Amino acid sequence: MAANRNPVVQVIRRWRVQAYLDFMWMTRDFKFFLINVVSDIVLSLSGVMAVFLLAERFAGIGAWSRDQILFMLGYAALVQGLLEMFFRYNVLAISRRIGRGQLDHALVQPQPLWMALLTEGFIPFSGCWGAIVGLGISVWSWGRLDMAVEPGWWLCYGVHLLSSCVVVLAFSYLWSALAFWSPVGAEEISSRAIGFAWQLKSFPLDGLHPLLVNGLLSVLPVGFVAWYPCRVLLGTDQGAGSLWTTPIFACALSFVALIAIKKGMNHYGHTGSQRYLRWGHRS
Amino acid sequence: MDTLDRSATCAGDIAVELQGVNKTFYQRQRSAHVRDVFKNLFRPRVREIRALQDVDLVVRRGEIVAYAGPNGAGKSTTVKLLSSVLAPTSGSVRALGMDPLRDRVAYVSRIGVVFGQRTELWWDQPVSASFEWKRVVWDIPQERYERMLGFVRELLGLDEFMDSLARQLSLGQKMRADLGLMLMHEPEILFLDEPTIGVDVLARRHILDFIKDLNREKGVTVMITSHDMDELEQLAGRIVMIDRGRIAFDGPFDELRNHFGDRRRLRLQTSGEEAPDLSRAELLTTEAGWHEYVFDAEQVKLPALLAEASAQASVLDAETHRAPIDAVIADIYAEWET
Repeated sequence: MAANRNPVVQVIRRWRVQAYLDFMWMTRDFKFFLINVVSDIVLSLSGVMAVFLLAERFAGIGAWSRDQILFMLGYAALVQGLLEMFFRYNVLAISRRIGRGQLDHALVQPQPLWMALLTEGFIPFSGCWGAIVGLGISVWSWGRLDMAVEPGWWLCYGVHLLSSCVVVLAFSYLWSALAFWSPVGAEEISSRAIGFAWQLKSFPLDGLHPLLVNGLLSVLPVGFVAWYPCRVLLGTDQGAGSLWTTPIFACALSFVALIAIKKGMNHYGHTGSQRYLRWGHRS
Repeated sequence: MDTLDRSATCAGDIAVELQGVNKTFYQRQRSAHVRDVFKNLFRPRVREIRALQDVDLVVRRGEIVAYAGPNGAGKSTTVKLLSSVLAPTSGSVRALGMDPLRDRVAYVSRIGVVFGQRTELWWDQPVSASFEWKRVVWDIPQERYERMLGFVRELLGLDEFMDSLARQLSLGQKMRADLGLMLMHEPEILFLDEPTIGVDVLARRHILDFIKDLNREKGVTVMITSHDMDELEQLAGRIVMIDRGRIAFDGPFDELRNHFGDRRRLRLQTSGEEAPDLSRAELLTTEAGWHEYVFDAEQVKLPALLAEASAQASVLDAETHRAPIDAVIADIYAEWET
């Protein structure tokens, strides 16, 4: 039987096998599984708890009501949860693989690099708990906001959610490209970049100096992780073109990251890996 | 890919062809002195390392080729060039009629690569799960998958640890599992970069027998690097020796011995403890009346040596054998260093 070469089918097949591996891993030790679930939920909640408590104490933050803050926190937790579900095993923190000389493993697999990276870090069972927490907070906030939402809004929500994920991924990859030239110095740079995004993701940026806000919406685009898209989705930012800002920025940043990674790969092809660390290219 | 596809896509019987391949790396040199801090930062000294220099190499289908050389000679660089991981600085690298870098996806689906110190196994999964992952990513048809799984399980004795987590395996078991995994898509060429490094004697024999069987039964082309020359001699008919990026020898093992002289070992037992001083043989060891010499059988005839020894001491026993290939190679490396 001829193999189906459709990339979508190929990606789905790979996700399926990753889901199988993850399920088998998760169910091997039920006690460990429970610890894993509880710690993921606690971590996810703690990531948004400080801002939530502030909003609760002061019945909102600045121009944001308490329920709007809750909406943003749900959105932010969902972005983080989705990325952690789809891009584990140092796929999101790709500078580790590059810096450790472990990209070779992906290069000897008969699939395009993008496909390996899109599928190899998928852990839908053990890694879904952050996303579930985000979804739970979001559902809670939707009920409290009493918004009259239409199908178009849901589409807009989905596009923004995807765009926010792409922004974080591209931001991580853009910095990670440095590891091609400086494998030791930049090995951990993606975890710093991601950590920066996760730490600031849930803070409303209103009221900051415009220069700072612009910086956080461009050079260090943490504003696109949740704050700016939520303003658009909640209708508090109705400026011209604001609906398209996050998706367009996500595309632009991806393009820049793609160029950086391509240049880095070209460099890697000529210099190879200066070092190889043996402690598992998927850990 | 079935047999028909293979014959249709491959020109001639050449599996690997390197023509005028050069590979140069640049290494920044940094002084450890504080006074050089600015120089280190802004104008570091760059050292040019010519890992491969004008390498021409042809490997025919079905051959087992031992690729040997001292540390830093360029062995791993060659394997990386042939594994779609590195690009040459200049020259042409072709394998199975393809450019490994340009045709990477199609090419790597037809080769198998094992780097001795790396593993493709999923660390926190049973070995069997890695095989299932391989089936999907390599797009192996179910029939071939089951056939090959049975084949590698039997030949490599994988059954005993198929359900163990990869991280719990010994080095030898891990290597056997990696070899099995590599073979599941029936590659036409195997590149094995020190596949027995750190592996015990029994596991090593297991792996070598397996590679031989595979070559004999399935006609798989094998290019193997190792520091263990005896191991390579057992396995391969042909040895390519590389030194400082250049091919220093390419031919059968016997020819290698002859090329660098027919080195032989002579062991003599004498009544006294003192070793006879032989003018045309080098004394290697002496212990409890036994003395071991090395000599070049092309230059010196054995009876002449024995006569010289008998003239100096009472010879009780004598035995001679060819020097192990390891010793021959060690001598060659020493010669190259000087």
